[in-house]
Amino acid sequence: MTVLSSRRMISPAMKRARRRENISAYIFMAPSLLFFLGFVIFPMGMCLVTSFFNYTMTDFSFIGLKNYVEMFQDAIFGKALVNTIVIVVVSVPVTCLFSLWVASLIYKMRNFSTSFFRCVFYLPVVTGSVAVTVVWKWIFNNYYGVLNYLCRSLGLISRNINWLGNAQYALACIITILLTTSVGQPIVLYVSALSNVDHSLIEAASVDGATNTQVFWKIKWPQIMPTTLYILVITTINSFQCFALIQLLTSGGPNNSTQTIMYYIYYNAFKLSRYGYGSAMGIILAVIIALFSALQFKLAKTDNG
Amino acid sequence: MKKLLALLLCLMLALPVLAFADDTVEITLWTYPIGSWGNAETVDGIIKDFNAVHPEIKVTVQYLDYSSGDDQVTTAIEAKTTPDIIMEGPERLVANWGAAGKMLDISDLWAETKDDIIAASPAVEAACKNGEGIYYEYPLCMTTHCMVINYNDFEKAGALQYIDEEKHTWTTEGFLNALDALNAAGFVPTAVVYCGGQGGDQGTRALVTNLYSGQFTNADHTKYTMDSEANIKALKQLQELVANGKLDADPGIVAGDEIALFCNSTISIGFCWNASAAVSNKASLAEDVKVFPMAFPSDDGVPELQGGIWGFGLFDNGNEAKVAAAKTFIKFVCDDPAQAAKSVYASGFFPTRASLGDIYAGTDKAENGEYAIFMPYLGDYYQVTPNWAAQRTEWWNLLQRIFAGGDVEAEVAVYCQNANK
Repeated sequence: MTVLSSRRMISPAMKRARRRENISAYIFMAPSLLFFLGFVIFPMGMCLVTSFFNYTMTDFSFIGLKNYVEMFQDAIFGKALVNTIVIVVVSVPVTCLFSLWVASLIYKMRNFSTSFFRCVFYLPVVTGSVAVTVVWKWIFNNYYGVLNYLCRSLGLISRNINWLGNAQYALACIITILLTTSVGQPIVLYVSALSNVDHSLIEAASVDGATNTQVFWKIKWPQIMPTTLYILVITTINSFQCFALIQLLTSGGPNNSTQTIMYYIYYNAFKLSRYGYGSAMGIILAVIIALFSALQFKLAKTDNG
Repeated sequence: MKKLLALLLCLMLALPVLAFADDTVEITLWTYPIGSWGNAETVDGIIKDFNAVHPEIKVTVQYLDYSSGDDQVTTAIEAKTTPDIIMEGPERLVANWGAAGKMLDISDLWAETKDDIIAASPAVEAACKNGEGIYYEYPLCMTTHCMVINYNDFEKAGALQYIDEEKHTWTTEGFLNALDALNAAGFVPTAVVYCGGQGGDQGTRALVTNLYSGQFTNADHTKYTMDSEANIKALKQLQELVANGKLDADPGIVAGDEIALFCNSTISIGFCWNASAAVSNKASLAEDVKVFPMAFPSDDGVPELQGGIWGFGLFDNGNEAKVAAAKTFIKFVCDDPAQAAKSVYASGFFPTRASLGDIYAGTDKAENGEYAIFMPYLGDYYQVTPNWAAQRTEWWNLLQRIFAGGDVEAEVAVYCQNANK
């Protein structure tokens, strides 16, 4: 009754004002909405459509689900899928744990020290993947690389290891480089999240005799959970979309041991001009990422209670 | 005030239209880094010379590189934003974009110069057209890809006896002996068979096919023939050399890395070299490196070298005025009596017109002329074989599997099956 009467009390002038406000809001939103529709939603739709076509430089004919059938019979796609999942499964937890550990250590430091370490860990992110990759290529070089030099000096190896040229080590090297470029943003976010944890709760828990571990898991962890969820999702997506490192370092080799779905999409679309097949793989990759992200949301929500 | 501002804005919008309202035709040229054709200063100079004769044609240039250039062209083809002219070789102009119907038939450009080009090399004329005789490329320059040795290392190892210093050739037996001598003298690693992909594959292909005089494709360029007895023997030989430590194989490096290893004296033999590489790497040579270009070793001592032919093709953009302007530009660059030699000189390679003769005599690049010694060994231009792009990846994978210890016959069978799809 109260609601009804308050609705009745809205004057035409107020309605006009609200409409104007709504219109203004939509106008402000329009540029980014148009950008989002044009550069995200429309390409995604196009990708879905072309995945049902034999779309090459010379052909555009409807073939239904043939691209998808071929994909699941393609041994290289299978290898790329396994490698991609290995990268995600290894790099996401390691990135999160390492970032949380570093952030826990540096957020209590003086402002200057905290900023210094944040800057150090963030440098690989702003440096650019090409420059970072060139440095790592030099580190891993089979003939004059620093890593081989160090390992031999320390007596860990007797002869040089071809880190990027040996299928046994190549994927591990890629994951290592990926970690160095992935931890910067999570560290900055965790430092910020940990600094924002309600200090009065920590003090109250300490007064009540809680240990450091208990304080972390019972007080800090729940409060930084939204940040953790964001980091998990972003790191997962970045790991699934690992491309530049592969292209610049190994081209998917040796013998497809570092092949990833993203690189295989690129190879099919741009090197073989099989746009339809590449699109089909893109759709599957999007579905896998969506499933992983949904799983993470679900688990994080449960943890959050 | 508002009206004045609006008028000014309208005039500014109309300016570009007014600027090209005269007879000026604007064309775009995309060029891969073929010698100094990837250098803006050089190309600007060529365009300046062109505009002195044809001020009515404005040429805009975009420079491509071999790592991302193909992607840019593929994107442009799908977005219908291709340039008017593109400079590259038959494997792209004829076998790839031409075969896909994206290029224009430029047979008319050949009318007056065909005999001159054939006189330079019949292989050039054959490579620039498709199976139906339609020309998609108008050639400017050519070369033969060779290999290179560090003369000083060979001298110290006593391995000069295994090469023909006059002809710059050697036999397979001589090559094997030279590797033994280098190893014994401590020049390890002697050489690296790079197999990390991304270009330079001509060196590894020539190494394999020459060792026992095999052929990479059949004569019709319809099938890849790595499964021939000669090629399998060569691959087994290389696999054995790598297993014995006489030679290195590395899936972690690409041709550019291998050249760097040669230039900094880490290795004594390089498999990816040519006249242009000699110029571009001159400044990065270590003190103890003395460059000595060599043909690939072959069982009979008569190599069959992989050719490089570069020229111009036209994308079909449906604008006749631009097509005419583009053809005028190409004719000027390739055939103008005052310009043609300069255009070839910029590439660092050799003219595809016999009439131009030795363009390097008495110039700063006189040493480039030395590489002309390899031109008689120019072999079959098989890069126009269908499925070329996929075959290249299969080739790297084949080498990687073989040097990882794979069974040669089985791996070659996999390669042939995938490449001949």
